[in-house]
Amino acid sequence: MELKPATPNERRQYYREEWDVKNVPDFIRNTLIQREFGFDHIGRGPNDRYRVFRNSDDLRKFMRVRTPFAAYSSVAFYNNPKRRGGWIKAELVFDVDAKDIPVRTCGCDNVCEICLNQAKDIVMGLLDTLQGDLGLKNINVVYSGRGYHIRVLDDAVMAMDSDVRSQIVKYLVGADVPRSEYSSHGMKYNLEHFTIPFGYPQVFTHRVKQALLNLTPDTEIDDVSKDIKKAVIKNRELLHDDQWGIFRKAIGPVRYARLVKGIASLNLTLVDAKVSIDLKRILRLPSSLHSGVSMKSTLIKNLETFDPFQDAVPKFVYERDDK
Amino acid sequence: MVSISFLNPLSPEGKDIVRELGSFDGISQDIPELRRLVTRNPYQEIVADEEIPSNYLELALKRIEWYVKKKNDREFNSRRYSFLSDQTITKYDVISFYLLCQSIGVKFGPNSRETRVMVEAQGDLVQERLGKLSLQEGRLMVDQSLQLLLKGDTVHWTFFQELLSTRKIRLTELVLDQGELILNQEDFIDRFGSRIKHRNPSSMYQLLIGDELKELLMVKMIMQETEDYIKQVHEKARIMVEPNPILLELAEEVAEILAEPMQSYGYDSGRGGGPMKAGPLNSQAFPPCVKKALEGIKSGGRNDAIVLFMTPFVSYARLYPDVFRMNLSKRISDQDPQLEITQNEILPLIYEAAQRCVPPLFEDQPQEKVNINAKLGFGMHSELKMEHEGETTWYTPMSCEKIKLHLPHLCRPDDVCKKIGNPLSYYNRMLWEVRTLKPADDSGSTTDSAENSSEGVDENNGSPGKGGTTPDKPGGV
Repeated sequence: MELKPATPNERRQYYREEWDVKNVPDFIRNTLIQREFGFDHIGRGPNDRYRVFRNSDDLRKFMRVRTPFAAYSSVAFYNNPKRRGGWIKAELVFDVDAKDIPVRTCGCDNVCEICLNQAKDIVMGLLDTLQGDLGLKNINVVYSGRGYHIRVLDDAVMAMDSDVRSQIVKYLVGADVPRSEYSSHGMKYNLEHFTIPFGYPQVFTHRVKQALLNLTPDTEIDDVSKDIKKAVIKNRELLHDDQWGIFRKAIGPVRYARLVKGIASLNLTLVDAKVSIDLKRILRLPSSLHSGVSMKSTLIKNLETFDPFQDAVPKFVYERDDK
Repeated sequence: MVSISFLNPLSPEGKDIVRELGSFDGISQDIPELRRLVTRNPYQEIVADEEIPSNYLELALKRIEWYVKKKNDREFNSRRYSFLSDQTITKYDVISFYLLCQSIGVKFGPNSRETRVMVEAQGDLVQERLGKLSLQEGRLMVDQSLQLLLKGDTVHWTFFQELLSTRKIRLTELVLDQGELILNQEDFIDRFGSRIKHRNPSSMYQLLIGDELKELLMVKMIMQETEDYIKQVHEKARIMVEPNPILLELAEEVAEILAEPMQSYGYDSGRGGGPMKAGPLNSQAFPPCVKKALEGIKSGGRNDAIVLFMTPFVSYARLYPDVFRMNLSKRISDQDPQLEITQNEILPLIYEAAQRCVPPLFEDQPQEKVNINAKLGFGMHSELKMEHEGETTWYTPMSCEKIKLHLPHLCRPDDVCKKIGNPLSYYNRMLWEVRTLKPADDSGSTTDSAENSSEGVDENNGSPGKGGTTPDKPGGV
């Protein structure tokens, strides 16, 4: 399927015939009056900001009349959203954009089925860690049009500042190589991350595995030569059944250390960290149209079965002449 | 048995000690018992009678002095502070801790360098004291203090929000399951035992959590409590009518101790070359590459030249020209406590160089101002603020080798360049020559300093050059 921009007419058709304010998820509609809204009317970025709506009906009318190019709402809750004043708390957000996945197999220049699927795998990994390690609840996943937004509305984290959020990002994506030297009673021991089946080292192992299985000879990794990449591709079958020890030996311990260090720094781009640490960001409104690619931003009920090319395509796309 | 309050004066036991004391009356009176305890300590080395703390205030100052000397004085002798790890002084030590926090809170507030030093000193002192205990006793103490600090058996990681926010601990250091921090062995084996293959789960526990993580958490939590307490004091003091003059006086003395390393140990340890005092910049002594960068850089390479090259050079040349010889990492505020020099001399010079770039650097890349702050050690923020210091490290000047690689167009070596490996050494050397060569060469010192050996000495004046071989970063402290 071709991802073409939507014309003004198509936008109008979408907001007048297909969109319903009830499609805006409850977690936003129930807190509507505490959020700031922002709009992009002509496709040059959201410069109509500081908008507030007293109720869903006002939002409904606005969307039907203005049929914006793009619509956003704040992740933050304010006492005075019109001024972005009286910040109360903010959702914890992770933005996985298929276009920006560090290790992409597809090589397409926008987004395609392959990289969108890869983005979905990444999201599933992040969700596991958010729930299993960090014990967070009340997590929503939204298809953004070009990737996924994970939106955490657990009160345990919503008041946290940017510094804590950046630590959460690093834990989640595996941005630091876990130490391998441990000591006890004066004795030193070597424990590679893959020998530790819990906690952060396990998270790191999962992320590295994901990257190594998708690696291509063209993937740019700091300080990692073509030879190392070749060796990875030759031996990565071993990782399917987690034979890490043998894999590491095949790569060579020194080269392996360099490799995981390179992957760790790539991991930092698995999510857009700027989005996660921003306490006042506006984020694409679920149910609204991503006019750049003609896709609906959609709250996902079941991530496993979700298929953007089935579940997020607006009707007008099927009615296009060139179809 | 050691009292919990010897490690954590803010524990209930510690608070009891303060309550017992009641008021500040007689706080500066001599305590013969304290003197006796110090002199009787078998490890204690006493050089002069004045070194023995004889009241609460003197003991308080000793705590700070211990930390400052340990960090800055290359001839630091820990045995002169043995009494600080002797648990018999607990009662006095707790009071002196509160005196310090209160005086610093009242006078300097929570975002000051004094607070930072106090908090770090407390952390180091706790570790020092733990290290002197037997393994068994240490373990018991850590377990007991943690129990008090954690307030319950199950702890959600979000409890450590503050420690995470101030980066005292990293989230990746904690072992978590379902949001809960796993600290004790039964819990660990319960949760992860079945997953662990080919290894003994309890030895895995010892390695990954064991004493080390517990100790780390305890120390950092005590540091955080100390910081919080100072903040509390500060907030209360703002509503209070008049702070106790004893506290203000103590605060002054703390500030004096902190100022000392800048004047003494920092710059002159009596070795060849003489002191390299920080002073106003002398642009005549700048090396060719710096002079060239000051003239302005053309598009391409502007960022590296201004952010990575000029920022470290100008700040170190102005504040800490001896960095490579001292081999001690410092922060800007160690040399410029009020950040006045940084704001009024260093940044303007860097901004001026940025302005002369073609096109002017900040015109199309205003975010580089943040990067400059980061290289000065103040994190990624648009303004220089004490509270952000330490989020990044203060970058040391690039070596000649690196400049040749990254900024080849700046490198136009002259004769002096052949004798140095870092532009900062060039600057120091030129300053020294300007100073000593004028009244002929009779500086007296002909012994060469070790750092200089590989560079060779300028034969004309036998000057023991400064800096010499220059690593990009000073070694560990």
